Amino acid sequence: MTTTASPIKFLSQIAAEAAARRKELLGGKTRHIVQVAHCSLAVGADKVVAAVRQAVGENEVIIVAGCDGTCFQAPKTVTIAPDGRREVKGHGVESDFFALQKRIAMDGCGEIDATDVDDYLAHGGYAGLAKALSMSPEAVIEEVKASGLRGRGGAYFPAAMKWEGARKVRNSPKYLVVNAEEGEPGIFKDRHLMEGVPHRIIEGMAIAAYATGINEAYVYINAEANLSAHRMEKAIARAKAAGLLCEKILGSDFTLNVTIMRGAGGYVCGEETTLLNTMEGYRREPRLRPPFPTTAGLWAKPTVINNCETLANVPFIMAKGAKAYAAIGAWPSDSKTPPNQRASGTKIVSLSGSVHRPGVVELPMGTTLRQIIEAVGNGPMAGHALTGVAVGGPSSGVFPTSMLDTQIAPGLLHESGVMLGAGGVIALDERTPALDVVRRLAAYNAAESCGKCTPCREGTPRMVDALDRILSGKGAQSDIEELRYLADVVGAASLCGLGQAAGSPITSALRFFGDEIAMRVASGAR
Amino acid sequence: MEVALITDRKELRAVLREKFPRNHGQLLPALHFLQHEFGHLPDWAMEVVGWHLGIPASEVYGAATSYTELRIKKPGEHVVRVCTGLGCWMNGGKDLLSGLAHDLQAKPGETTSDGRITLEETLCGFLCGLAPAVEVDGKWQGRATAAAVHASVNGAAKP
Repeated sequence: MTTTASPIKFLSQIAAEAAARRKELLGGKTRHIVQVAHCSLAVGADKVVAAVRQAVGENEVIIVAGCDGTCFQAPKTVTIAPDGRREVKGHGVESDFFALQKRIAMDGCGEIDATDVDDYLAHGGYAGLAKALSMSPEAVIEEVKASGLRGRGGAYFPAAMKWEGARKVRNSPKYLVVNAEEGEPGIFKDRHLMEGVPHRIIEGMAIAAYATGINEAYVYINAEANLSAHRMEKAIARAKAAGLLCEKILGSDFTLNVTIMRGAGGYVCGEETTLLNTMEGYRREPRLRPPFPTTAGLWAKPTVINNCETLANVPFIMAKGAKAYAAIGAWPSDSKTPPNQRASGTKIVSLSGSVHRPGVVELPMGTTLRQIIEAVGNGPMAGHALTGVAVGGPSSGVFPTSMLDTQIAPGLLHESGVMLGAGGVIALDERTPALDVVRRLAAYNAAESCGKCTPCREGTPRMVDALDRILSGKGAQSDIEELRYLADVVGAASLCGLGQAAGSPITSALRFFGDEIAMRVASGAR
Repeated sequence: MEVALITDRKELRAVLREKFPRNHGQLLPALHFLQHEFGHLPDWAMEVVGWHLGIPASEVYGAATSYTELRIKKPGEHVVRVCTGLGCWMNGGKDLLSGLAHDLQAKPGETTSDGRITLEETLCGFLCGLAPAVEVDGKWQGRATAAAVHASVNGAAKP
């Protein structure tokens, strides 16, 4: 390194300056932290901000933060007195919503001024980046590899392997794409991250880019997530101004330019090669692999595509070390499983459905679905009984209540195709029979099929048809066979990961609700 | 709905030249621009975009129709989108949709006969924690009721 100050020194200097500014701004004052996010805006958080702003006295300040995940409490305001007393105003009570949670990616979410660099620095921000920049890129990759971090978008591919792959390809320029498309129904975690702690994503992005040898990054944000895009834009501008992005990051020789791209809707857009097509101005259709994006991605150049949440885990790994990360949620903990096959870290779960406390929760891997629904979500709703749980969205399936003790883990949770995916957990009660839910998931897959490959385009509607015949009492034994057959073909022969998983709702239904399906067929056939 | 400022091809060409560099990757940003400007994607405007970016109109149309957020058809004066994702469906979204369809005399996907209100079903509004959710003219409402939807469409203060 040819520069004079080391990144760590550079950081401690700007952090000290930030702390001084903050002391001047906040010292001895009461803080009103208003949580403004996509969720709370829909229930009048903008009005709360206006009201607080009007009422704010001399020794008080207003801070606009993201949502801490307690969507059920929105709109929520936390008032912190100079002596540390904390008062919460909102819809409903927090109770022990946070008891089981472990906040790594979401740390500070809903507490800090979302886009403010100073607040993030005071929260230990950019320490991971400073550490990374003072190491060699190869050493950064090794550290992340040792942490066991896997992609949090649903495929759980080891993050460091992706980086290493792209690093080794001799071609330039290389690109980094942050996948924040998040078009999966029932999942709203990336929005919370971008709205609450956008600087952590920027930091993670910079570390990934440094490790891979990338100077050009794109953040691909869902078409509807306007607030996320707005906050990311603002945070990027502020990070630039503070010397944390663009040229000479933290005084080093490393350069990273970031551009925001907006999607235009559609489940398949979150699939990484589809995302590349979208960015290049083509139809939302996946590409054939290989070549993999790490070899030939955006504009046929090596491209690393990481999920937003994956990158939000990286600063912790660099700042606190791979060991500290690997120790969280290390599951299964038995001595037989080699450490690199264990699931380390946390997963952000989007919890909804029949629970009193829906929201976004970050839990260590290995937490059970029962804990998520009952302890965190306080489910099911009063007067209703749990009948099952839809995990992981339309590419996954539905569990009956007998499977509630399943622990969350990367990838498949059950051989029938139920997987954690991007972390959606929807508690079902008797108002929504499991088979109806399966039908909705199957119909969703059929509607969202992009039409490029035949098995998915033709197979998914036929699965819905067969299911409809069974559910309406007009089904025959042959329909069950057809479902099994179609799910098999669609799974085996589709082009992209979403097509390959499009049969999962059906296979999980046949496995867990087979009796009910058989009963419907029998009652129809009488 | 805002009044379109651009009325003819020549004007649109000039604006596109100013805003969008001529490369294939600008297609989606340009289509977003059209939708923002016109509320939907008029055929003639898509042609101009294709001309500007050097993409055949058929390909522009093909790409545009593949994205769920882009509108080819002109919607009504107000657009009401009811979320029917699982969380909303089970927590009141189902009844909200059928209630609104009944009140408006329009099925999901249809516009009222006077062209005033388009009712749509959306597969997820990402407000699962605040079910049921409805979007009225681009603004989301959580814990929505039919009365609140009618009120915001009719411009009255929300309850």
